[in-house]
Amino acid sequence: MHHANHHYGHSHILARYCGLPDPRHPPRIQGYLQHGWNIGDGLAPGTPYVSGSRLLVWSEETRRRSWSQGRRNVVVVGAPFAYLVAMTPPPGQPGDGTIFYPFHGWEGQQVHGDHQRLIDEVRATETGPITACLYWNEYQMRSVRDLYEKAGFRVICHGYRGFWWQDHNRDFLVSQLAELRRHRRVVSNRLCSAIWYGLVAGREAAVYGDPMVLDNADPTFGGEPRLHRQWPELYGQETDFATCHRLARAQLGADELAGPEELRMLLGWPKEGYV
Amino acid sequence: MPDRPDMAAALAAAPLTNLFRVGGEMFAWSDELDGRRNALLTHLIVALAGPGRTVLVAGPHPDHLVAALAAGGAEVTWLLRSLGDAERAARRHPTITVRAGAFGKIDLTAGYDLVVAADGIHRLNSAEGDQVPAGELIDRLASAVRPDGALVLMHDNLLGAHHTVRLDPGRRLRDDAAWYPADEPSAGNPAARAQLTARLADAGLVVDVAYAAFPEPTAPAVLIGGDALGDVTSPLRPWLRTVLTQAYTTAFRGRAVVSDPRRLISRALRAGAEDTVAGGWLVVAHAPGDAPAARTERHDVLVGDVNGAFTWTVTADGPKVLVPHESPLERDGLRRLDVPADPAAGALVLEDRLLELCAAADVRSLRREISQYESWLSAQARDGLVGGPAALADLSSLVITPAGCAVLAARWEPVEPVPVAVALARGLWQFAVRLITWARPHPWPITASAADLAAILVGMAGRSLADGELRAAVDLQMLIDTAEFGLSPSERQAYRLELLAVQPGTAPVDVAGYRELIEALWRQRYQASHLLAMMEWTERIIESRDAALSRMDWELQLLRRGWGGRGLMLAKRA
Repeated sequence: MHHANHHYGHSHILARYCGLPDPRHPPRIQGYLQHGWNIGDGLAPGTPYVSGSRLLVWSEETRRRSWSQGRRNVVVVGAPFAYLVAMTPPPGQPGDGTIFYPFHGWEGQQVHGDHQRLIDEVRATETGPITACLYWNEYQMRSVRDLYEKAGFRVICHGYRGFWWQDHNRDFLVSQLAELRRHRRVVSNRLCSAIWYGLVAGREAAVYGDPMVLDNADPTFGGEPRLHRQWPELYGQETDFATCHRLARAQLGADELAGPEELRMLLGWPKEGYV
Repeated sequence: MPDRPDMAAALAAAPLTNLFRVGGEMFAWSDELDGRRNALLTHLIVALAGPGRTVLVAGPHPDHLVAALAAGGAEVTWLLRSLGDAERAARRHPTITVRAGAFGKIDLTAGYDLVVAADGIHRLNSAEGDQVPAGELIDRLASAVRPDGALVLMHDNLLGAHHTVRLDPGRRLRDDAAWYPADEPSAGNPAARAQLTARLADAGLVVDVAYAAFPEPTAPAVLIGGDALGDVTSPLRPWLRTVLTQAYTTAFRGRAVVSDPRRLISRALRAGAEDTVAGGWLVVAHAPGDAPAARTERHDVLVGDVNGAFTWTVTADGPKVLVPHESPLERDGLRRLDVPADPAAGALVLEDRLLELCAAADVRSLRREISQYESWLSAQARDGLVGGPAALADLSSLVITPAGCAVLAARWEPVEPVPVAVALARGLWQFAVRLITWARPHPWPITASAADLAAILVGMAGRSLADGELRAAVDLQMLIDTAEFGLSPSERQAYRLELLAVQPGTAPVDVAGYRELIEALWRQRYQASHLLAMMEWTERIIESRDAALSRMDWELQLLRRGWGGRGLMLAKRA
């Protein structure tokens, strides 16, 4: 029901998993699908929530937190990315180099920090080729792109997540998964969805460097310092893959994924003629 | 109070030579004797009588019990406080002696080989004369037992689940027999099983066995005694939960209560506290004498069928039928089962396991358990059809074993096998109905209907649920309940519609608990406020999309006015 359900092609991936006849044009999801890794109640801050609606979250931990914040109709479905990984056979090759995600907000926020210092640290740490994946609004800033390109990074962007039912990149996550698998490591200066995605896709992950400061950052759920305290295993230039992988599967609900028939019902996509 | 007696008929009737008035008999009164058979009680009591033994039946009892005692050759004396009841009893049983009056007036000097007070003590005093206190009534019953004789006494438990959940405002003021309330505690009235057995011991009797009786003292269907009582490590415990749930379902169906008694009983069983909340206690005691008391059978558990003669017990070798069905029973394509299943088959009832996992929101384990249930059910099928007890077993009647599920206690089986998809849908849909109407926590949308939940559960087993399968499952449930409770055709249809419409705000469909009704009301309010919020949101979104459409229309009109747009429109028309 909320336009954010289509962000990153989420509803399209789930429609494909459920075997709907036209996954490029999925039906309305009956509820609010969590659309990014979240340390709050599962909804992005400021989402105009219709009281009593289903909140479809990624993990049991988020469900518990959401309940503690007064949400009641909360259902764990798992992250659409985890469904995508389950549907996409792994490549034969282990991947090469590093994909780096500089921390971003969304288009309504700006990040303040020293990109050059970050670039220097990543170059000094990583071995092999480095790809920098910029958020679409930073990708459009010539000055930011130039910094990374001059440093010898391959600069990419997964595309625009869409807004208000328009301009969706339906294959956003499909291309993100392909890029993640193309590399051996995924790193970022802040713990974010991409780090968890990389781990679930079977890639090593690490969080280090200046975490930068976000304009209008919402401190309600503890912000960056809380991330560090709660998931210290992810921080540092070297991390333990098995430990981080296990944490990632929990955060994305990768071991809780519903079967297609079950998911169809949870999303409110009943078959014709159903009672 | 009965209608006035027909004086002409009374004068014309032959004199009753087997009826004696002892004083304190009640005129224009009937205790409305319970005509229902209770094979369980009859079996226990008749075993203690026998040819030539004198038996005192104190107070109202089922007619067939007295007939069975007389048919066994016992010399039966039946004491009834209602003169009218006594006259009818004397007429129906010419070989027995009937005494009409208050128990306090009867001469007990000679004593009896067997004293039966399975109705308890509350209908032994009459409205006339002195009111003998509860403790003294018990003492008097005990004193009536001859050396080597026996007493069978049922005693009401005022802390019993049946009292705790009662929701019957004004009951005492509507009850003509409640000149003194029967459920008020009084000094000397034993309030616990230990107090009761101590009182009998003080009166000189030796207690052979003291069963906790369920669900109510007036119609016991399950007796638990011996080592099984309060033993939470007993392998029989999951099975006890199943048979007690069945007994309470039958007894409380359609009755308004404060809270579903099955919840209380289930928790008491887990705590080993079933004795505390039992409907009453049935004590078999004997007066010491020269001969050893060998007549009393001691059972760990006795189970009777409230609707029939069938009675069975559990021994170390497994279940044993004590009283078989009188004849095979088939109703609406279902057959009543004779042979009890294995009560010690497993340690965990499937429904309990699923309820636990639902409360813990452990969907991964739920998926595993439901898939195993589906595999087990499918393995029972031939050519997609499943018959026997497995086809109709509720999840509350299944136990988890290392080899899959096992049927713990089954009451019916289909005469013709049913499609496995329908049997599966019925089991899971019934569980969904229980989740909703019992207000149990679960990890799925709280706005989901029973049909939605059933489809999710079936989906967890990797299957899909078709409309026709769900309707067939609901019809199958209706058949089971029709056979079990003898529903009339109009009741069936109403029940079917009720089952098809189980929504989050639906109240329980069998036992109407106030607590559960309040829960249902809370959910209705949640649903209503959500729907109002949805309406508001829908209005806003329609407004915003209307505005977007208007803007796009304006752009289109501008574009159509240009040469390119005109050409495009012409091409479209062509």
